[in-house]
Amino acid sequence: MDLVLHIGVMICLYAILATSFNLLIGFSGLFAFGHATFYAVGAYATALLTLRLGWPFPLPLIASIVLTGAIGLAIALPSLRVSGIYLIITTLALQVIAIDVMLNWTGLTGGASGISGVPPLTILGHAFGGPARFLPIAALAAALCFAVAYHVGNSPFGRALRAMRENESAAASVGKNIFYLKVGVFGLSAALASVAGSLFAHYLSYVGADSFQVSETVLILSMVVVGGTGNLLGSVLGAAILVLLPAGLAFIDLPQGMAGQLRLLIYGLVLILFLVFRPEGLLREPKRGGKKAPHRNMPDGAPPAMGAIVPLAAREGSALSAVGLNKRFGGIVAISSLDVDLASGRITGLVGPNGAGKTTAFNLLTGFLVADGGEIRFRGKLLTRLRPHELVRAGIARSFQDLRLFTRMSVLENVLVALPRQSGDRLSALFLRPFAVRREDAANTARAMAILAFIGLGDRAMDLAEDLSYAEEKLLVVARLIATDAEVLLLDEPLSGLDGAAMQKIIDLLRQLAARNRAICIIEHNLEAIRNACDHLVYLDEGKALAEGEPGALMRDPELMRRYFK
Amino acid sequence: MTTNTLPLQHAVTDGAPPAPAKAPSRRSVASMLALAPAMAFAGRAYAAEPPKDPPVFRIGALLGLTDKGNWNALVMQRAIQMAVEEINAAGGVEGIKVEAAIEDHQGVPRVGVDAMQRLRARYDIQAVLLSYSAVGLAVAPIGEEHKIFMLDGGSVTDALVGPFKYLYHNRSVASVVARAVLTVPKQMGFKKMAQMAAVTDDGQSLIRAAEADWKAYGGEITATEQAMSNASNIDTQMAKLRNTNADFLAVWQFSPGPGLVMKRAREFGMKQPIIGVEYTADIGKVAGPHSEGYIFASDYFNPNASDPWPQRFAAEYRKRFNDNPEVYAANYYEGIHVICEAIKRSRAQGGDYFTGERIRAALLANPKVPSVYGGDMTFKPDGTGLKRVGIFKVTNGEAKFQNFAEIN
Amino acid sequence: MDLFAQLLVNGLGNGSRYALLGLGFGLIFGTTRIVHFAYGPIYAVAAYAAWLAASAAGLPLAISAAIGVAGAALAGAAVYGLAYRPFEARGMSSHSVLILSLALSIVLDSLLTLAFTPSVQTIPEFTAPIFILGPVYVTALQLGQIAAVVAVAAILTLFLRRTRYGQAILALGDNRDMARIVGIDTDRISLVVFAIGSAVSAIAAVFTLLNEGATPTMGFNPVFIAFVVAVVGGLGSIPGAIAGGYLVGLVESLGLWKIPTEWQNSIAFVLLFLVMLVRPQGLFSGLKR
Repeated sequence: MDLVLHIGVMICLYAILATSFNLLIGFSGLFAFGHATFYAVGAYATALLTLRLGWPFPLPLIASIVLTGAIGLAIALPSLRVSGIYLIITTLALQVIAIDVMLNWTGLTGGASGISGVPPLTILGHAFGGPARFLPIAALAAALCFAVAYHVGNSPFGRALRAMRENESAAASVGKNIFYLKVGVFGLSAALASVAGSLFAHYLSYVGADSFQVSETVLILSMVVVGGTGNLLGSVLGAAILVLLPAGLAFIDLPQGMAGQLRLLIYGLVLILFLVFRPEGLLREPKRGGKKAPHRNMPDGAPPAMGAIVPLAAREGSALSAVGLNKRFGGIVAISSLDVDLASGRITGLVGPNGAGKTTAFNLLTGFLVADGGEIRFRGKLLTRLRPHELVRAGIARSFQDLRLFTRMSVLENVLVALPRQSGDRLSALFLRPFAVRREDAANTARAMAILAFIGLGDRAMDLAEDLSYAEEKLLVVARLIATDAEVLLLDEPLSGLDGAAMQKIIDLLRQLAARNRAICIIEHNLEAIRNACDHLVYLDEGKALAEGEPGALMRDPELMRRYFK
Repeated sequence: MTTNTLPLQHAVTDGAPPAPAKAPSRRSVASMLALAPAMAFAGRAYAAEPPKDPPVFRIGALLGLTDKGNWNALVMQRAIQMAVEEINAAGGVEGIKVEAAIEDHQGVPRVGVDAMQRLRARYDIQAVLLSYSAVGLAVAPIGEEHKIFMLDGGSVTDALVGPFKYLYHNRSVASVVARAVLTVPKQMGFKKMAQMAAVTDDGQSLIRAAEADWKAYGGEITATEQAMSNASNIDTQMAKLRNTNADFLAVWQFSPGPGLVMKRAREFGMKQPIIGVEYTADIGKVAGPHSEGYIFASDYFNPNASDPWPQRFAAEYRKRFNDNPEVYAANYYEGIHVICEAIKRSRAQGGDYFTGERIRAALLANPKVPSVYGGDMTFKPDGTGLKRVGIFKVTNGEAKFQNFAEIN
Repeated sequence: MDLFAQLLVNGLGNGSRYALLGLGFGLIFGTTRIVHFAYGPIYAVAAYAAWLAASAAGLPLAISAAIGVAGAALAGAAVYGLAYRPFEARGMSSHSVLILSLALSIVLDSLLTLAFTPSVQTIPEFTAPIFILGPVYVTALQLGQIAAVVAVAAILTLFLRRTRYGQAILALGDNRDMARIVGIDTDRISLVVFAIGSAVSAIAAVFTLLNEGATPTMGFNPVFIAFVVAVVGGLGSIPGAIAGGYLVGLVESLGLWKIPTEWQNSIAFVLLFLVMLVRPQGLFSGLKR
C-alpha cells in the first residue's frame, strides 16, 4: 500500500515541477534547461530552515518560495539577452554551477554528504511523515500549484506570454513589456518548483546534490513534452506517465544481471515511441479566449459594433513629429536628417525605392531602433529613447511587413492581446484582484469581437491565426493595430500581395480609421494604391526625404519617378 | 563515533577457523554485557513459540545498476547471486530457500526510495543490502521506521554511522581505513602528505578522517586537490600535487579513479609513493604498469590464507566470472551470509523470527559472525563491523598482502 | 613558473581534445540545427570500436583508431538517417527533437552497457612515451592531440572550401530553405555532416581510450564540453571551435591553479557565461568560407 501512496506522492511532486516548467517552455517559449535548480533551492532552503533554525511550518515553505522566486528573477536575465540554443546552454551552465555550489559550499549545504534528518512536515502539531499521511498534503499542494499555474496561464498575462512565444517583437509592438513578462514568468515558475522542493525535503528527509542533477531536468522536460507543451493538464498527465512507467517496468521480471539496463533501455524506447506517435504531446494546446465571448462567430456584415474603434477627439497640428533623425549601421548611413510629420485624420504614404530606409524609419519612430540623433515628439512630448511597448502605450503603434501574427493563437486572442491597459497583464493584479481582472477580460473579449466584426473576421474568431488566408492575415494585422487604441498607426506594406478587392477593403478600413482621427502612415510600393489611399506622401531615398507633398503632385515629378523606377 | 580502541590484534593470528568462535573476545563480552537487558527480553519473548517459517527468505538489495558513477554494482550483483546460489545448493537456511530481490537505485536518492518502497510492497522485505551513501541516507529512514535490517558493504562514509539503529556496515568506514593506510607513511617517517580526493560523500569522509589523523601525528598536508568521481581531466590537480613536493600522495578516491591518478602522477614524473583505500580490476586496468608499488589499505582479504572459506570463495568467484574478487564482491557476498547467519540464530529463538527487528536482535545478542575475509567480524554497537584491515602493495598488477594495520 | 609551464602544456593538450569535440558538435548543429545530445554515446561507440579492433582483433593501433573513426561516422549517420530525419520530415518542434536526442542517449547508453558491461576497457599494450622538457612533462598523447587538431582543421577547411559537398554544407548552414531552393539534397548533406561530425569527435574518443580507457557512459561529460566549446567559439565556425576548445582547456587548466580544484566542473560554464555577456554569438560566428 505504501508503494502506491509513494507513487502518488511522486506524481504530485512531478506534476508541480512539470506544470511550472511548462509555463516557461510551453507558454513562454523560453527553453530554459535548469528547472532542477529551482527544485533544489526549495529543498535546501526548507531543509536548512527546518533543521538548523527550527522554523515551524509554513515559514520554511514561504521562505523557500520567496528565495527561489528571487533566484528565478535573476536567472531570467540571460533570457533577456539570448534565446534558442544559447538560452539552453546558459541555463544548463547555471545548473552545473548550482550543483557545484551544492557539492562544495560544505558549510551551508553539507557538501557531498548533503543534509539528512530533515524532520517530517508538521502542521499544528501533526506530523505528516510517511507516504500515507503525506499524500493528502502533496495532493493539496499539487492542486494549489496547478490552480495557480492554470489561473496565470489562462489570464491576460498568460496570453501575453504566448504572444511573446510566437513573436517577441510583435508582442512588444502591441504594448507588452517583454522584460516584465520574462522576469515574471521565471520568478513564478521558480517559485512553484520550489514548493515541490520544499515538500521533497520533508518527505525524503534527505537533501543532497544527487537528487538535482541534469538528469532530473531532463526528466521534467520529458514530462512536459510527452504531455504536450502549452497544455497544463498534459504536464500532469506527462508526470503521471513518466513516474508510472519505470514503476511498472520494475515489475517486469527480466534476466538478472542486466535487468536494470534493460529497463532503462525500454524506458528510452517507450519515450521515443511517445514522440513517434504523439510528436506534439498527448494533449494539444487548447484554443483559448472563446468561452467568454458573448457573440461567438459573429457573422460578417453585422453592423459595426459599438466601440470597435475608440473615437478620438479631432486635434489640430501634428500627432507625431520627428526632426533630424539619423541612423548609421557601421559605415552605412541608413537615415539622415529625416523629418516626419504625421497629422491626425490623414494617411501619409512613405514611398521610395528598395533600400531607401522606409522600414528603418518605422523602426526609429516606434522604438525598435534607437536613433543616433534627432528628436521624436508625440503631441509635443519628447519620446526619444522610449522602448517599443512604452511607445505603444503612449499612442504610437506599428505593423510589420512580414505580419508577425501570433500564429498558434486564435484570431480572437491576436486582437485581445493587443488591447491596452489590461490589468491582467500584471501578476499582482491576477492574485489580488482576480474577479476584477476576469470582469475586465470579459469586457475586453467583447471589444475584441467587435473589432473583428468591424474588420470582417468575426466568423474566424476561434480559428488559429495560422489557418487564415493571406488576405485575412492582412486584415488581422489591421485589427490588431486597431486594438492598441493608438492614435498614430504605422503600417509596413499593408497592401502588398493583395488583389484588388482585398486591397480596397483595407484602404476603406484605413479611411475609416483616419476619419476617426487616427494619424496613419503606410509604406507602399504600388503607385495606384498610393494614389488611391494616401492624402500625403513622403518620398524617401538613400535615407533622406527628397520630397513631400500631395500624391498627385509628387507622381508627376519626372525626376522622382525616374529614381523610383531606376 | 570514533574508533580509537580497535581490537584488531585478535585477528592478527591468521588462520582462525571460519566457524563462529567459541570464546568471545573481550570486546564482544563488553557489548554483550551492555546489551544484556535486551537479550533477556528477547529470550523471554520468543523462546516459547515454535518458529514461524516463511516459504522463502527474501533479501533485498539496492544497487546502482544504471548509475553513471557507480562502476561496482555489477560486481556486487554477481557476488549476491553467487552467495544465494551457494546457500541454496547447500539446502538453504534451515531448509528454506534464499532469494535476492535486486533493485536499481541509479545513484539517485529518490529512485532509491522508489525501490525501497517497491521491495516493501512486493515482498514485505525484512533485510536489505544498501550501497552508495547518498541513496543510503534517503533510504535508511524508511528502513528505520519499518524496522528493516539494512547492511551496507559499499560506502565508507561516516554520515551513515550513528543515526540509524537498523543500519549495519560490513565495510570498514573512513575513519578506520584512512588511519590504517596512513600507518605506512608514518612507518617510513614521512611528514608531508599531498591528497587527491573525490567530490563524494565517501571522499569527503576520508579527507576528514585522514586530516585529523595526520595532524595528530604532527604531519603536514601540502595540498588537497579534488575531482568529480567521473572526471577524465585531472591534469591540473596532478600538476599542483606534484608541485608541492610532498613525501607521498594519498588518494581518497574509488574505482576507477585511483587508476587515472596513478597513471597521470607517474606520467608527470611524480616518483613518490602513492597510497589509497581501494584496488579493483578497473583501477588496475586504467593504471596499467603505473600501479606498481601502490599501497592501499582494505578490509583484509587473502584468498591464499589457510582459511578454507576465503579460498573457496575466491576460487569459485574466479571460476564463475574469470575475474579476481575485490572488496565489493567479498562484502556483498558476505552481506548475504551475515543476514542468513542472523536468520539462523533468530530462528533458534522461535516465533515470528524473520523480521528486521529479530534479525537485528540476533546480531545484538551475538555481534560476532563468520567473515569471508577469514576469521570473524564483530559488529560494534554503532553497527560498524570490525574486520581486520590489511595493508597491500601492488606488484605486477597483483595486490600482495603486507601486514595487518595496527591502529590504536 | 614550473607549474605554470606544466599547466600551459596540460591546457593545450586538453584544449585540443575539447576543440575536436567542439568542431564535431558545432558542425552538426551549425548545419542541421539539431541539438545532438546523442553525440555522447556515439563518442563512446568510437572508443569501443577502436578497442574491439585493437584488443579483440589484435589490429595495430593506427588501424584500430581508423576503425573507431569509421564506426562513429557510421553510427552518427545511422542516428540521423533512422531517428532525426524521419522526425524532422514530420516537422517536429525543437523541444521534441531535443527530447528525442536525450531518449536516444538513454537507449544507446544502455545498449553499450549491455554489450560491454559497465567496467573499464583499456588497451594494455599501449603506453604513451613521455618527453621531459626541463620541468615540463609532455606525453605523446598530448602531442598527438595537438597534431590531430591541426590535421582535422586543415582537412575540414579544405573540404568545406574546395569540394561540392563542402560548399553544399556551407550553404545549408547559411540558409536551409535557400539551400533547398537551389537544389541541394538537404537530407543527404545532413547525413554527411552527421558522419563527419561524429568522425571528428571519434578522434577525441580514441585519445580518451588510450589515456584512461572506455566506459559506456564516457560520452556524458564530453557532450557538455562540446556544447560549451561550440557556443563559446561561435556555432558552426571552424576557427571558433578551435579557439573555443583551447580557451576552455587553458582557462580550466590555469584557472584551477588558484581556484580550488573541486570547482572544476563550473569553470567551463562560468567562462561560457562571461563570453555570452560580452559576445552572445560566440567568439566567431557562422560557418566560415
